[in-house]
Amino acid sequence: MADPWQECMDYAVILARQAGEMIREALKNEMDVMIKSSPADLVTVTDQKVEKMLMSSIKEKYPCHSFIGEESVAAGEKTVFTESPTWFIDPIDGTTNFVHRFPFVAVSIGFLVNKEMEFGIVYSCVEDKMYTGRKGKGAFCNGQKLQVSQQEDITKSLLVTELGSSRKPETLRIVLSNMEKLCSIPIHGIRSVGTAAVNMCLVATGGADAYYEMGIHCWDMAGAGIIVTEAGGVLMDVTGGPFDLMSRRIIAANSITLAKRIAKEIEIIPLQRDDES
Amino acid sequence: MKPSSEEEGELVQGVGPWDECFEVAVQLALRAGQIIRKALTEEKRVSTKTSAADLVTETDHRVEDLIVSELRKRFPSHRFIAEEATASGAKCVLTHSPTWIIDPIDGTCNFVHRFPTVAVSIGFAVHQELEFGVIHHCTEERLYTGRRGQGAFCNGQRLQVSRETDLAKALVLTEIGPKRDPDTLKVFLSNMERLLHAKAHGVRVIGSSTLALCYLASGAADAYYQFGLHCWDLAAATVIIREAGGIVIDTSGGPLDLMSCRVVAAGTREMAVLIAQALQTINYGRDDEK
Repeated sequence: MADPWQECMDYAVILARQAGEMIREALKNEMDVMIKSSPADLVTVTDQKVEKMLMSSIKEKYPCHSFIGEESVAAGEKTVFTESPTWFIDPIDGTTNFVHRFPFVAVSIGFLVNKEMEFGIVYSCVEDKMYTGRKGKGAFCNGQKLQVSQQEDITKSLLVTELGSSRKPETLRIVLSNMEKLCSIPIHGIRSVGTAAVNMCLVATGGADAYYEMGIHCWDMAGAGIIVTEAGGVLMDVTGGPFDLMSRRIIAANSITLAKRIAKEIEIIPLQRDDES
Repeated sequence: MKPSSEEEGELVQGVGPWDECFEVAVQLALRAGQIIRKALTEEKRVSTKTSAADLVTETDHRVEDLIVSELRKRFPSHRFIAEEATASGAKCVLTHSPTWIIDPIDGTCNFVHRFPTVAVSIGFAVHQELEFGVIHHCTEERLYTGRRGQGAFCNGQRLQVSRETDLAKALVLTEIGPKRDPDTLKVFLSNMERLLHAKAHGVRVIGSSTLALCYLASGAADAYYQFGLHCWDLAAATVIIREAGGIVIDTSGGPLDLMSCRVVAAGTREMAVLIAQALQTINYGRDDEK
């Protein structure tokens, strides 16, 4: 029996590379930068062009499939998450990095069927690292098989997170307070490279032990989520409950033990779900 | 155009007095990179230094021994300031003699975890003036170099800092130092909070001061600040940033003091001053007082 999703995945890799070329080309030129929900939530014409290219290429080949993309949602399209084969697209994850030419910028493509992650592609296009994960088939970076780290002791852990794009005082206070609690345990350190998808892929490689964040969206996580789990890691809600793609919250960790330990330290930030409007 | 008049010096092409030293530094940085890349795939024995988050491995020692012994052989009259020698009790004093300032592995915590951001840093000073810097990004195999009056480069590509002067458009890099006591953590996080309240575009933390400073030199970030770094983290990177047109100063806004364990660096003086004004001080003492 033919494997219909492998063909989709192969096509997704081709498209991610095309998007990567568009991004690298745009990095050579001056950019007009626009603001979305806050002065630190940025978008450029390239974000919009890349998403348009990805959407039209996929629709042409798979007209029956569904699509959820960051810039389509920003343009007013409603997020409706169903059992249909659904492509989750973040054309440029790390737009602030892109604007500044900080070299961690990713195209993220996640594919879900029956609301379950089937495959994910994260192409860190400046570094030229193609991360892939497919259910039951493993996770890879440029062909190298990925395995999460073995570290379950939080006092010897290296975490990745981001400060987020909100500049509201109360939100910042909670974000920094959570960071303070974790650093005080103590842990070995916290890193922030500026893109949720690449942060999660660093967990998949074992280069970091866990990632946590609140405020991100389904398109930030849908590609990298299965890369983490296929590398042997776990996804969890920041409360310690089950992971929910629309909740805007995640802990991606090497193990349940470490994930739960992190959850104990985290105070929740109130957020509107991606499937509410 | 030079970053500042105090860096004025004869612009040397071809033969210069420190050419041989510079070429040796490049070769040693590349060799060290090979050793580190190989060691990244191996199991490591980890020890702690000043705190549970201040790590050291056998590879740090091995790389430093390689670099220092090779340089001693070729330049027996030169002096050395190196991280692990200092940890073993050697005095950290910058004299007028030609002096090598070496960090064998910058990003040891990253190295231990296999987080792919690890560097070798080799700086060289004469008459207490920084002459050149070589920083090798071991995992991405990028070689950053800067020589006084001769520009800064990455793998042959000339580097230029960002010209940004507006803190509300800045991408800022920093590192938390090794101190993790409650008071230090509060000040560190409060400093980040101030920058975010000033609407900075973002703050990134990558686990290596030298590579963060190289990103600044390449224009990929607008500013860097840190309390708790050392002269070996700073020496090479300072030349590279200045030769890329940037500014490296003290966190007080005054002139850089290599031994003071603190720094602000930026693409422009305006940005550097804005960052310095936003910061509360964390006291780490001095490298030449320990």
